[in-house]
Order: sequence, then structure tokens, then C-alpha cells
Amino acid sequence: MRWKRRKRSHKAEKVLERLDEKLNRQMVGSLLACVHCGMCTDACHYVLANPGDTTYAPAYKADRIRRLFKRHKDWTGRIFPWWVKAGSVFTDEDLEELRDIIFGKCTNCRRCSLNCPMGVDYATFNRMARGLLVSVGIMPEGVAVVSKDQWEIGNQMGVLKEDYLETLEWMAEELQAELEDPTVAIPIDKMDCDVVYSINPREVKYDPRTIADAAKIFHIAGENWTMPSEGWDMTNFGLFSGDDELGGAVARRLYEKVIELRGKKLVISECGHGYRSTRCEAPNWGKFDVPFEMESSVITMLRYIKEGRIKVDKTRNTRPVTFHDSCNNARSCGLFEEPRELLNIVCTDVREMYPNRAENYCCTGGGGAMSMSEYTPLRLKSAKIKADQLKDTGAEIVVTSCHNCVDGLTDLIRHYKLGMEVTQLVNLVANALVIEKAGVAAEQEDEVEVKGGEG
Amino acid sequence: MSELLHFSEHRLQEAALGFMGLVYIIRIFWLLSFKAGRERQAPTGLPGTTPSRGIFYSWAAIATPWEMESLRTKFLLYLQFVIFHVGVAVAITLSFIIPYGPGLLENGSVVLVTQVVTGAACAVGVLRFIRRVSNPYMRAISSPDDYFSLVLLTVWLFSATLAAPNSIEQGEWHLLTYFIMTAFFLVYVPFSKISHYLYYPFTRYYFGKTMGYRGIYPIRRVKRV
Ligand code: SF4
Ligand code: SF4
Repeated sequence: MRWKRRKRSHKAEKVLERLDEKLNRQMVGSLLACVHCGMCTDACHYVLANPGDTTYAPAYKADRIRRLFKRHKDWTGRIFPWWVKAGSVFTDEDLEELRDIIFGKCTNCRRCSLNCPMGVDYATFNRMARGLLVSVGIMPEGVAVVSKDQWEIGNQMGVLKEDYLETLEWMAEELQAELEDPTVAIPIDKMDCDVVYSINPREVKYDPRTIADAAKIFHIAGENWTMPSEGWDMTNFGLFSGDDELGGAVARRLYEKVIELRGKKLVISECGHGYRSTRCEAPNWGKFDVPFEMESSVITMLRYIKEGRIKVDKTRNTRPVTFHDSCNNARSCGLFEEPRELLNIVCTDVREMYPNRAENYCCTGGGGAMSMSEYTPLRLKSAKIKADQLKDTGAEIVVTSCHNCVDGLTDLIRHYKLGMEVTQLVNLVANALVIEKAGVAAEQEDEVEVKGGEG
Repeated sequence: MSELLHFSEHRLQEAALGFMGLVYIIRIFWLLSFKAGRERQAPTGLPGTTPSRGIFYSWAAIATPWEMESLRTKFLLYLQFVIFHVGVAVAITLSFIIPYGPGLLENGSVVLVTQVVTGAACAVGVLRFIRRVSNPYMRAISSPDDYFSLVLLTVWLFSATLAAPNSIEQGEWHLLTYFIMTAFFLVYVPFSKISHYLYYPFTRYYFGKTMGYRGIYPIRRVKRV
């Protein structure tokens, strides 16, 4: 009997071909180094919320990807695959099964990576595997839709330019009314500004108040700032889909716009994945050496207070609050002390959450999970860990510096009936602002008007 | 000493070591053939968190269990890890002492310490095996190589405990077993999970560098009061 080679589907063939292009030394190290010690197992919120189900263990999930590497790249796996549990993919069904693990059972939160004594960074190669599947069109529906919007319309929520500009104009009018100052504006495409402010499209669509609050803070601080009419989306679905091409292209639009406006600094509104992508990852994906400074708006607000450019009165925020660290901010960008410092300046009753900072648990909406409705029941079940953590603080308000976490937390708070509110630092700072009316008007004369609809 | 034992202590070990060294060199070159990713962005995080601090912190992870939640909260497993690895290091050293410095083993205390350490490591090996087969999470992630490597090392540690006195009064079988197993172990290591110590410096170097550059390492934590 002749031995027949098992045929592979076109997509499976392509995935294996592209594996080569995706590997770098760090990734190969992580693929080789796992000793199956199991120390990372209960670092994962999926494991903790689904006791007994071994398929959620980070090393188990990682091995679904690792087996490909072992079968096709590693010498023992090539010769004796069964000995090291090496394996391959042959059919589209194999790829779909892999999709449900890498998209549905992991939020790429990196908590297991931080808890691996060997330094295996599973979250990084899980993202790599997402990219491989996306390259052959195998991904959750939501990921496909959002990626398409970001490629074609330029932002991940498909917000049209007119709607964006109209929202800014509307927010500027609201601010004028609130501050009783007709000169208040949200400058668009102003050249040579000290700050170019970029936002998450969610702010335009669902939470425009955060734009108004940020504008109020910039205005009171007397900042020479602007918002770009295009390329304004600092979020980046490339981080979630593992598509470096998309990630690089999206960020490039924003970087190039800042260069075109001759902006001195790009300030990124409160968004964990947006901050991580724009500030940390995208220069690598897009092979772009960014010539200007980039900063989280959390740091900007804190700086304004320290420099005496804005004054705040913390007695305006007296309800007990706690702070949730976004995984992307805390575990991938080291942004965890500044938000706490700011929170303590603008609130009277701040309660720590345990564990915290880089050891915090994911909101369970990370890694693009909020866009993958097919996994919602699983996500909410796994959110039990976060729900318990929140409840334990006794706070009434959860503060977070991430729009994605706002949605994830709101969803789980509703599901577990915690009766808490979710807000961001920008809202608390704006609420605590002490506005000295006389001085404000004089400082604003040089600001340009909102050019709603033009751009 | 029989010719077979002499051959096992010398030629066989030298050949096995040479083979392991060669395969390791090839392995390292292969690993280095993959390009290292580069960080283009400006560093993030608090001042004082640098890539070099991150690297040192990362390398030290194995000796600073209080810094990593998984090690801190499973301290008994960490202790087992220490005993097991110290035992392996001692058992390897023994394979050099017997042929090249047997005089050292004339000191009864050295023999006793070697036997206690390798014996304890062997006992930990048994505990680790029990954990691997009885814990469903461990079973789910284990491969034949994981089981075999653990059994191989546990039995080898036992043989090292017996070989430590370096005495042939009761026959040579225990020394022969130890040296033949050592040779097999050296040849098998590069193809198994046991070679993880080769990757540890790489993985922790790169992870620490990134985490230091991004201000995450050293970890900051506020404990519950
Ligand atoms: S802790 Fe690290 S080495 Fe251990 S099983 Fe998890 S990934 Fe593998
Ligand atoms: S990255 Fe987070 S969600 Fe994914 S396996 Fe690790 S701990 Fe679990």
C-alpha cells in the first residue's frame, strides 16, 4: 500500500507558508521554552471562571499554536510529532477550531505571560496566530467588519467625516453655553499647535461628553491645541486582529496627519489599546520612526495640574471610586501610577483594587472581545473574576483609562447586577475643574473656530 | 575497575558531552537565525525603568519568587523547583567528580550532602510525577516527552544517590547505571524539554528588555492592607 500525503486546504497551506514570515527570535523563544509546568494556569481569568475545564489553561491554548511550530519548524516535532504533541492543520475546519481558541478563549491580556517563570509570552504569539488566520479570512464576523471599516473609512466605527466634524461643532457649542463664553472652540486642523488631540471613534458615536470634557480642560489650561479633520482615530484594530499591515497603515494616517499639521505632540485620549497601539506598537508594525512626542491624556492632565495650568477641587467628586487598570496600559505600556496620582488629586475617596497595576485582571472585554458577539456568553461567564474584584472594593464608581474597558465593565456590571457606574479620568477632572471666568476669556481669543463640515 | 566502567566514565561521557555541545551550538545558531524584533518607539513608564534593569529583573525571576504572583502563591511548588534543579546540578557535577576528582568523595560529608541533595531531588521528581498525572490541568498540557523526561531525571537522580560513594565493593552495576544514564541523558537533552535551560536566558532576556523598556519591570504592586 502506498503512503499518501494528506492533502491540505488552500487556506491551511497559506497559514503554514506565512508562519515563517511571522516568526522572530522573541516569538521562537516563547514557542520553544514552555516546560508545561502549569504555573501560568490560574493567572488566567478564563481558567478561574471555568473551573475544571482544562481547555482554558494558557499552556493548553498556547500548545494549539505551538504544535504547528513544532511540526513544521522544530526538529523533534518533525521526526517524532506524537512525542512532543506536534501537529498540523489540514482543513478549514481545523482553522476554525483554532479561531475559536485564539479569539474566543483569550483576550491577549498578557497576565499569563507575566506569570510564566520561563518568560513565555503567550499573548504575543496568540496575536501572531490571529494574524495568520486573518490573512486567510478566518476570523469572527465582528473582527472582519471592524477591520474593513478601519481600512476603508479610516476609523473602526465607520464614523463619517461629516458626523465627526458635526459632533465636534456640537460639543463646542455645548461648551460655549456651559462656560458662557462664545469664544470657546474645538480647533480643527490648526497648524503648528503644541498638542494634536486624537480620540477613539466611540467618543463620537456614544460618548461625546468625553470630547467636550477634554476640550474644556485644554481650554482652561490655555493649550494651543487642535484636532485633526482626518486620521483622528487613535484606536487600532490591528492590535486585536494581529494584522500588522492594518496596524501600520492606521497609525501611519495619524502620524502623517500630525506631521502635516506640524504638531509638536500627539496626545492620545484615554484608551488602553489605542495608547498601546499608537504609542508603543505601531511604529514597529509600520516601521515608522515617529518624529514627534506622544503622550496619554492622563499624563497631560496631570501635567496641567502640576504646572498650575488648571486648578481642581476634589470635593466635587466625593463618591467612592476605584481604579481599573487596562491590560494594555498597565501590562504593556507601564501606565499605572499616573492615573492613580491624578485620581487622588481629583477624588476624595479612592479605593484600591486587588490585585492591581500590572497584576490586575482583564475587564474581559479586551483583545477585541467586545466586537465578537459569538463569544459573549463565554466572555460574561469569565467576567465573574472581575465582578468579584470590583465588588470587593466597595466603590460606587469604577474609573478606567480605556474606552474598551468602559464597555467591558459596563456590560459585566449589568450582568452581575453590581449597581456601579463606570467613568473615565477626563470626566472626573472636568467635573473638578475650578473655572475662574474672567481669566479664561482673555486667553481664548487666538483660538480658531470649529470648521464643521469643511476640514 | 572493569574496562566497561572505565569506558562509561570516560569515553562514553566525553562523546555524549561532545555530541550535546555540538547540537547545542547548532541550536543556538538556529535560534539566532531568526531576526530579533526592534522597539522603535520612545520608552514608556516611570523613570528608572530601563531595558537593562528589566533584563536583570527578568533573569532574576527564578531567584526572586516574591516578585511573581504565580511563584509567590505556590511557594511549595517553587521550593520543589529549587530542590529538583539543585539536585540535577549536583548529579551532573558528580559525573565529573567521579572520573576526574574522585579524591573529593573520600570525604564522608561530601558524599552525604550529595546523597541528601540528589535523594531529595529524586523525591521531588516523584511528587512532580504524581502532580503531572493526577492534576487534570497538568495532564491536559503534558506530552509523552514531559512524562519521559521527568521519569528519566527522577531515575537518574536515584542512580546518582547510589553512585555518590563511588564504591565498587558491592559491584559496579550502580555506577554503570549512573554513567550510562548520564550519557543517554546528555544525548537526549537537546531533543527534549530538558533543554529549556538553554532558552531561559533568551526568553527572559527579550521579555525583560521589552518590559523594562515599557516601564513594567520591576513590577510595582500595592498589597492589601
Ligand atoms: S508557566 Fe510558562 S513554562 Fe509553565 S506552562 Fe505556563 S507558559 Fe509553559
Ligand atoms: S493572555 Fe490573558 S486571557 Fe489569554 S491565556 Fe493569558 S491570561 Fe488568559
